[in-house]
Amino acid sequence: MENMSNVIIGLEIHVQLKTKSKLFCDCPTDYLAVEPNANICPTCTAQPGSKPYSLNKQALNNLLRIAIALNCKVVNESFVQRKHYFYPDLPSGYQRTSKPLGTEGRLGHIRIREVHIEEDPGRYELRAGTVDYNRAGVPLIEIVTEPDMRSPEEARKFLDEISAILNYLDVGRDEPGSTRVDANVSLDGGTRVEIKNINSFKGVYTALMYEIVRQQNILRRGKQVEMETRHFDEATGTTLTMRKKETEADYRYVPDPDVPPLKISAKLVDQAKKGMPELPRAKSQRLTQDYKIREEDAWILVSEIEIANLFEKMAKEFDPQQVALWIRGPLKKQLNYRNLGLKEAVAKEQWLSSLLSMFLKGEVTDKGMEQILIAMIDKKKDPKALKKELGLEKIEDMAEIEKVVDSVIAANQKAIADYKAGEEKALNFIVGQVVRMTKGKVDSKLAKELILKKI
Amino acid sequence: MTGIQSIQNATENVHKKLEIIKKKDPEIKAFIEVYEKDAAERAKEIDKKIKTGKAGKLAGLVIAVKNNIAIKNKRLTCASKMLEAHVATYNATVVERLLKEDAIIIGSTNMDEYAAGSDTTHSAFFKTKNPTDTSRVPGGSSGGSAAAVAAEMCDAAIGSDTGGSIRCPAAFCHVFGFKPTYGAVSRYGLVDMAMSLDQIGPLAKDKETTKLIFDVIKGKDPRDPTTSVFKEKKAEIKSIGIPKEFFEGVQPDIAKSVKDRIKSLEKQYEITEISLPSVKYSVPIYYLLMSAEFSSALQRYDGLRYGAASDRTKDLYDSFEAVRGAAFGKEAKRRIILGTYITMKEFRDAWYTQTLKARSVLQSEFNKALQKVDLIVGPAMPTEPWKFGEKLDPVEMYSADILTVSANLAGLPALVEPLEHGAFQIHGRHFEDLNVFDLRV
Repeated sequence: MENMSNVIIGLEIHVQLKTKSKLFCDCPTDYLAVEPNANICPTCTAQPGSKPYSLNKQALNNLLRIAIALNCKVVNESFVQRKHYFYPDLPSGYQRTSKPLGTEGRLGHIRIREVHIEEDPGRYELRAGTVDYNRAGVPLIEIVTEPDMRSPEEARKFLDEISAILNYLDVGRDEPGSTRVDANVSLDGGTRVEIKNINSFKGVYTALMYEIVRQQNILRRGKQVEMETRHFDEATGTTLTMRKKETEADYRYVPDPDVPPLKISAKLVDQAKKGMPELPRAKSQRLTQDYKIREEDAWILVSEIEIANLFEKMAKEFDPQQVALWIRGPLKKQLNYRNLGLKEAVAKEQWLSSLLSMFLKGEVTDKGMEQILIAMIDKKKDPKALKKELGLEKIEDMAEIEKVVDSVIAANQKAIADYKAGEEKALNFIVGQVVRMTKGKVDSKLAKELILKKI
Repeated sequence: MTGIQSIQNATENVHKKLEIIKKKDPEIKAFIEVYEKDAAERAKEIDKKIKTGKAGKLAGLVIAVKNNIAIKNKRLTCASKMLEAHVATYNATVVERLLKEDAIIIGSTNMDEYAAGSDTTHSAFFKTKNPTDTSRVPGGSSGGSAAAVAAEMCDAAIGSDTGGSIRCPAAFCHVFGFKPTYGAVSRYGLVDMAMSLDQIGPLAKDKETTKLIFDVIKGKDPRDPTTSVFKEKKAEIKSIGIPKEFFEGVQPDIAKSVKDRIKSLEKQYEITEISLPSVKYSVPIYYLLMSAEFSSALQRYDGLRYGAASDRTKDLYDSFEAVRGAAFGKEAKRRIILGTYITMKEFRDAWYTQTLKARSVLQSEFNKALQKVDLIVGPAMPTEPWKFGEKLDPVEMYSADILTVSANLAGLPALVEPLEHGAFQIHGRHFEDLNVFDLRV
């Protein structure tokens, strides 16, 4: 992509809050775990005569924790408005959405304009023509930034930090699509285009990249970017016109008479501050300083609180830099591959220490360590037992290793010729053969040394 | 007095009421539906309780409920084609509280569609006649409830009051009607008309029954956060204020009856003339605010979930338009359009925002006056009930609400008691609802 210096990006981030019940009624919030329309009542389906109950206290507490983590000023008083529009997923014909509860926040150099709370609508299946109201009324917050981001990469980093904060506070829901983003993009101070409903943080980067190129192409042709709202199509990674400015919706905001004004006392704020953890940014700085690890590694370690805690525990026992590399490398790779959290993947935390210890002491090879790690996650077994079970004790007997190396050399004369002719890759192939024949029980570094000595 | 203690036999009482209904309702048409079988069965249960001395405060009392209040498994129509076939899935809090005290609900009563009207002629189903003079309207919008009480088809009725919808028909049908303080009675289960004004209240032939029913239905409800814990605040009544604005344009015989009533109070209370200048703007303030909230409240009727069904073969928005166009009556539509208009981006500052400010001026005027006097009294309606077909111009109908809308705008309790001509209205301070019942005759 060409020069991005003229790009201006602002984000509106919607996060479903983790609460037991919905924002204005007692229905449970686990909208995917049950049959469609199982978690509903007169209130969240807006049956005639129903009224909202008092605003969910847990939701308000969660919001306050987020607002505080984003360094917002918390307002003393706010109120809930009705945002009117017709759509099958919106049973009352209006969405309840509060005025800002936190304002003028900051995360690094990106300013947070405001944070407020609202209710999620249900889920409308356009093709089937069906609606599921399990989600209707699930508490949602919206974090609105100032237009302070200058590239999709910057937006991605910002969202990574938001994501880490949500993880630390344990306030957000885990369902796919529980975080959604609207992005505003303009180029050269020109017309602002809004991209609505990007269903994941990852999608934001793709959507922004596409949209910037689209706008650059328009400008290059000497045309003007039109003010419009666009929709992000996840399947194709493109943005499509949703509505132009002239058909901009008028939501007829009015204060909701059914919901008394929200008063946020100092006591409520203190309560929300209580037990506030060390946040990712501060933790990353501390880890860099205290353990002398690279800033880049520290950021990866702090992205999830469990990982960060694991690092600190293991760094007391082993060399912190080795621990950092091992966690962000082999361990994260296996977790991400399975899309599992640390607690779900690893039955006993001490297994990780004993595995890393084996590896760092050279009792198993890198390949062997990885095999044990995989088996430990999938079979939930102790790595010490697995080492034996899988026969992965490193071969220490030099005579035995030399025998294997000799036979590999004999069988791969062509590869040796290629290597000698200057093809570096051929050597890796031969080393790979040795590791393979010994099922990873020979250290690849040692194998390479021996091969070079012998040819 | 319909002596509450005097109901020793619920079954007998129900049969007596059902007989009167059979005799009179074909002409009066107060009821949308009569729950004959349910009421008789329930009466038997309650009679058992009466025998064992375990019956509740309202044991055997026969009550009619306005059809904008949810009764589980009964049609909740709001006298609208939109909800003609809609069956409520739950009980309103008020209904729960009545049943808990062993009241018997005899049926649902007619009303102006979605409570939008002052004479019950805007029901989508049929018109209700005034039992005191069947050539005249019963008032509205709780016209069915007032007519049922007046014709003795029930011991009491429940209505809702947004701008006078209990007090107007009470005055017109010569019965007692009470609009409680906003927040004194739960609105859970009351179909929204204008949420910041709506309040449920009782109608009955005597003051004691009216008060008793209020006592049963009042109080905080977690399902309606605008309700408050009802603390019985009872100040001694010493002074009574008479706002001069309440007598402008009032028919002479009604004004005379009201003044006679005031005269009867002179010996016991200090009577002062007061002024509430905002009252002359109260009707426009009310109609603008109510319409804004009404248009929001009626957004939910799109024909998808309940009531009149939309045509699914059409485009989504076309189908909403079609069902709303066909199923809402003219008066409801007029208010939706007005309310939508004044809350649109371009016009909200000029209309809606101004209206909110005007409302708070009126509120503080009433509150200030009530710092000086304990009660504010005057007539309830400026005229006698009009004849069918007499008031066709909506603005003319709206202007008849001038004496009732202030209590809703200010959130105050207001009791209407019948006089020889017209009716007397007593306003009290917030949550001093019991005081308005204490004015001696």
